[in-house]
Amino acid sequence: MAEIETKRSADKKKRFHQKSTRVDLTPMVDLGFLLITFFVFTTTLTTPTAMNVILPYDKTPPSDLICESCVLTVLLDKNNRIKYYEGAVENGPLIKETGYAPDEIRSVLMLKKAKVKRARGDEGQFILLIKPTVASNFKNFVDITDEVTICQVKRYYIGELGDADKRLLLKKL
Amino acid sequence: MPKVKIPRKSTIVDMTAMCDVAFLLLTFFILATKQKPPEVLSVKTPTSVSSKAAPDKSILITLTKEGKVFLMLGDETKKAAIIDDFNTTRGLQLTGAQLAKLKKAEYIGLPVNQLKSALDAPQEIPASLMAGIPTDSTNNELSFWMRSVTNAYKGEDQRLLQDMILVKGDGDALYPIFKSVKEALKANEIFKFRIVTEGEQVPAGSELYKTGKEDKK
Repeated sequence: MAEIETKRSADKKKRFHQKSTRVDLTPMVDLGFLLITFFVFTTTLTTPTAMNVILPYDKTPPSDLICESCVLTVLLDKNNRIKYYEGAVENGPLIKETGYAPDEIRSVLMLKKAKVKRARGDEGQFILLIKPTVASNFKNFVDITDEVTICQVKRYYIGELGDADKRLLLKKL
Repeated sequence: MPKVKIPRKSTIVDMTAMCDVAFLLLTFFILATKQKPPEVLSVKTPTSVSSKAAPDKSILITLTKEGKVFLMLGDETKKAAIIDDFNTTRGLQLTGAQLAKLKKAEYIGLPVNQLKSALDAPQEIPASLMAGIPTDSTNNELSFWMRSVTNAYKGEDQRLLQDMILVKGDGDALYPIFKSVKEALKANEIFKFRIVTEGEQVPAGSELYKTGKEDKK
């Protein structure tokens, strides 16, 4: 393969045939590089990442006061849909629906963040409440917490659905 | 003018050196590759923008699509201690042979009441037939397992333990299962843990993209 035979005109004398001890290493090199490529690909592609989750310490009730208009509540509903409302549930807020696509929930979060900043002068006061329903799945939960990281929401809580929330969910939009 | 004889040069290239390099690199990559533990439980994890690599030594709680919960004790130095602790605190009264078998098992995915008979069985039960660790609020056995874990790490750096607790879930697993896992961790005062995800690009133009740093939560 890698060598072209060149006849040696020099030794015309007939000797008894001596076989060359040289081995053609080309196939071996081929194989070596093939395996290298394989290992290079497998090493870099399987690195799972880890996302941090912090649960609130809820043995003592929280005492800090929050402003109602700074709160956005997202309810993770079935079929990968999100329902959300601003403010407290007792005041009968307007409930809206959105999804997990980049231009959906992300823009909602960013809008609310900007709104809080305009009203309070500090976007750090924005509070996001995440309430997953029993029909939502694990991916929805990871997606929404990821969205929190992407939008750099400083304060968010993962809560459970209250009765008022459940009633809201049942209501037709 | 006599003809100038051009000596014909051999075209043979010595492949030995190239071969050496190829195999040297090959050896390096084989050794550098961490053997991925065989995935007996097929789980398709969701994606996140987190770029931190998951630790290889871990206490891994796996949630499957069907809603079963499995526990893998990845820290070999503590595995025996955790299982022994579970045996004594739960009063399982497992024999030495049963304990040894349990310690050798890659993952735990059986309720306590089935554990003993499964350990006596000559053949191993495949993961698909295991019932998973019960996590319902009346009988949260995962919480007992986590208690044994915290007991085993008592007196050591708790931050180390926090870094090791991983939850790996299938994207299609329903939220209530995750919630009960969360409750099990909370019951043992573990408030920080990590979720194993697949990497994902930070979306261009987003807040995180602009600041370029991940929140140190």
